[in-house]
Amino acid sequence: MSFDAIVLGAGANGLVTAHYLARAGKRVLVVEQREAADLSADIGWVPEAVIRDLGLDGAGLRIEEPDPWITVPLAAGGSLELSRDMKRSVEAIRRISPADAAKWPDFCRRMRSLAGVLERLYLAPPPDIETTDTRELARIAGLGLYVRRLGKQTVIDLARILPMSLAELLDDWFDSDALKGLLGALGVWHLKQGPRSGGTAFNFLHHHAGSPTGVFRPARSNVTQALASLSGVTIRRGARAQVQVKAGKATGVVLEKSGEELLAPLVISSAPPRATLQPLAMELDPEFTRAVANIRARAVVARGTLSLGSTPPYSTLCIAPSLDYLERAYDDAKYGRNSTTPYVELQRTDGRLEVHVQYVVSGGEDPSKTVARLLNVDQSQLALQTTPESLYHGELTLDQILFMRPVPGWSRYRTPIEGLYLCGSGTHPGGGIPGAAGRNAAREIL
Amino acid sequence: MKQYDAIVIGGGHNGLVTAAYLARAGKSVLVLERRPRVGGAAVTEEIFPGFKFSMFSYVVSLLRPEIIRDLDLARHGLHILPLESTVTPMENGDYLAAWADHDETRRELYRHSPRDAEAYDEYGQLMHFMAQAVKPILGMVPPDPTSFAPSDLAGLLKLGKHFRGLGGERLHALVKLMTMSSADFLDEWFETDVLKATKSASGIIGTFLGPRSPGTAYVLLHHYMGELDGVFRAWGFAKGGTGAVSEAIASAAKSWGAEIRCNAGVSKVLVKGGRAIGVALENGDELRAPTIVSSLDPRRTFLQLLDAGALPDELVADIKQFKFRGSSGKVNLALAALPKFTCMPDGAGGRLHRGAVSISPSLDYVERAYDDAKYGEFSRRPYMDVIFPSMIDPGMAPPGKHVMSVFVQYAPYNVKGGWTDAKREAFGDAVVNTLEQFAPGFQSLILHRQVITPLDIERITGLSEGNIFAGELALHQLFFLRPAPGWAKFTTPVRGFYQAGSGTHPGGGIMGASGRLAAMTILKNGA
Repeated sequence: MSFDAIVLGAGANGLVTAHYLARAGKRVLVVEQREAADLSADIGWVPEAVIRDLGLDGAGLRIEEPDPWITVPLAAGGSLELSRDMKRSVEAIRRISPADAAKWPDFCRRMRSLAGVLERLYLAPPPDIETTDTRELARIAGLGLYVRRLGKQTVIDLARILPMSLAELLDDWFDSDALKGLLGALGVWHLKQGPRSGGTAFNFLHHHAGSPTGVFRPARSNVTQALASLSGVTIRRGARAQVQVKAGKATGVVLEKSGEELLAPLVISSAPPRATLQPLAMELDPEFTRAVANIRARAVVARGTLSLGSTPPYSTLCIAPSLDYLERAYDDAKYGRNSTTPYVELQRTDGRLEVHVQYVVSGGEDPSKTVARLLNVDQSQLALQTTPESLYHGELTLDQILFMRPVPGWSRYRTPIEGLYLCGSGTHPGGGIPGAAGRNAAREIL
Repeated sequence: MKQYDAIVIGGGHNGLVTAAYLARAGKSVLVLERRPRVGGAAVTEEIFPGFKFSMFSYVVSLLRPEIIRDLDLARHGLHILPLESTVTPMENGDYLAAWADHDETRRELYRHSPRDAEAYDEYGQLMHFMAQAVKPILGMVPPDPTSFAPSDLAGLLKLGKHFRGLGGERLHALVKLMTMSSADFLDEWFETDVLKATKSASGIIGTFLGPRSPGTAYVLLHHYMGELDGVFRAWGFAKGGTGAVSEAIASAAKSWGAEIRCNAGVSKVLVKGGRAIGVALENGDELRAPTIVSSLDPRRTFLQLLDAGALPDELVADIKQFKFRGSSGKVNLALAALPKFTCMPDGAGGRLHRGAVSISPSLDYVERAYDDAKYGEFSRRPYMDVIFPSMIDPGMAPPGKHVMSVFVQYAPYNVKGGWTDAKREAFGDAVVNTLEQFAPGFQSLILHRQVITPLDIERITGLSEGNIFAGELALHQLFFLRPAPGWAKFTTPVRGFYQAGSGTHPGGGIMGASGRLAAMTILKNGA
């Protein structure tokens, strides 16, 4: 059987690429290794362009906007609840720290302005700083000009804040441990770093992208399900595929179990770059293979569900009471252990209660017991899964973003193998923005 | 009263470099130093009778060669003796050594890992190249990316061209060096843990970061920029201690007519109509000059020497956020004899003691030392860089006896409960006890001991929070952000008042680059 394009992986990015290609008139097959569609929520900003271009509103897309967006139990009793409404958040913060409450609106505005710059960078391929192409140079100059028009403060903030540790940034602004803890958690989200590590301020802003001013948790949606329900592409589930290469060109895939050969001049993988490229090492330059081997994608998160008898009174519950708490949780991971007291977040979506646990190292123990004790629930109520590698296919550290992602010099979704492209979280702009990499890749391919 | 063209506040090496360059250009210059001797953190003192110590900063390599040439420092007594080797004792009784002889080092590495021995040369070449690539930036006044002035735009363009000229592969390596942790960066090259630990240690010096913290790879590179007689990555020891470096620069400055006054602390810069007109001394005297240069750190320069009203609020806020967080201590010891290290009982025929001994047996060891500091304690088992100056320059100790210099990290300035005499001694004990494990019997050789905490560094040298770089060398405090955005070009909002210390670009180590760039700026502005 032959197609115009075969996409590996039916996650959000794979499906987005598939549908953009289908809309451009290509016959597209998506091959997904899992039998059943994944029902868990997609966490992250779904760019409006993707929704509009693919008509996702008509496909049952639901984006949750929980309000309050976070609930933090306080050591002294009661809880801190932050809302979408700025005034209500300020009021809530005032009860624990009047000084922090006074600074909150300004902090939120500064962060929003920086996240806005990232949003613009994320909806296009990363700037190619080595280029001699005048159009690309003009685009880079345009970006530079855009940033400078945002004002002096934004330029300075970008240079100063992105490489900073989030702990330093938050210590400059706030006193309250509870407030710094809940914000700090976003800075280490899916990262094998603690809040005192440089670059966590960037990770924080990355996950603020797409959120309104004053909301520091990514959106939750069913975008993958909505994409799967769109017509126009064929999805074959429960099949593992191996990319076929002849004379430096991708020719299609072979399905592992059946040995069935599917031909296509375009193969686009949304799987982790290393998983896609390492089996093809014979076809690749050793330097490139080494760069692929050097991608850091260390798993630190376990996800799963918690079954409670009743609906809890919160939509998002965050257990990260201070920056030191997060840092100590990271210390354990640094030496190869699960956190003794992990950062745990509960997210209520579509009637399910999902759990994010960090830090859980790959090959470590099952974290359920620790989490159950922390949440004061029975271990049987928890179902947690770990992954051998980061769900982001590459940690979002400053040396693995933009033109350095997935490997330096190959950030345009291409690979050294003609016809083989990447479109997953391992490519720019990375995890936590379902569909952005898929859309950029499709546009680059077309 | 004598009228000067310029008054330099602070007689540390940067202040002296500025003064020397100004005097060389024919200006009448006065240097005011609070302490009884010049040098700042680059001083040699006879702390115990007959035993001389480079009290704080103890090795030289970053001093810019153009400064040595321009100021003819060799003629003024600067003589640098090479420090050729580094030995790292391991916990299992083995060691890792880097010797002066390249082939010998390779053989030694081969013993630990043939793969690493292969990678070593390639790594060395890359770092050498990267250091070369960054070097021009050290000698450049940082352009302001927020400004639309033609000179700034031209500067940015020049910078862009310079980096693009490196070519893809090297540009990517530079991005990695600027952003990664030294541990992650070294992981891409080597597998031997003790090698990575020892190399990564140079990435944590003077920072409040561990080897696994992003940003440390840059400090690694910063320490690769050292250049002695054109040989890269060569550390040296100044004959007579680091104070001799300061003395040589002072002597050069004096040869062109500069005056140096010690015991003359400055309390304020006098400002009239937005212009600096002179300084007020701690003893109440006032001195006038149209150009005033502060080589003190940014906090003292902006928040202590000037009155609050003299500066824009933004700048005050920026300087308040400038991070110092001193993290290093020093232990100076007078010894009856040289210690014997378990890993190398014969000391390799004296070569061990003529080089550095690095207490960095594993990455986890160094990282754990950082963990202690993170939560407000000094490291129970610290990272240490040890040298025996009397083995290189016998004049440092009485015949047959020795001095030992131990650079220690981490000792946080804001230690829990604050630094007390008891805590200082406990810190000293941690250092001695840790060394005892690697060199049994060492303790009994100690004749005198001086323990220096970051608080002591602050009290004696004036460096805020005892930060040895006059402000952390973190990515967000470099180049046009050092010490504050918009004020990284050695000028200040007060006309005629300049900054020249290590808290300005490029900062750090006995380098002198800040002082030189400040002098160039002043001369260009027509002081």
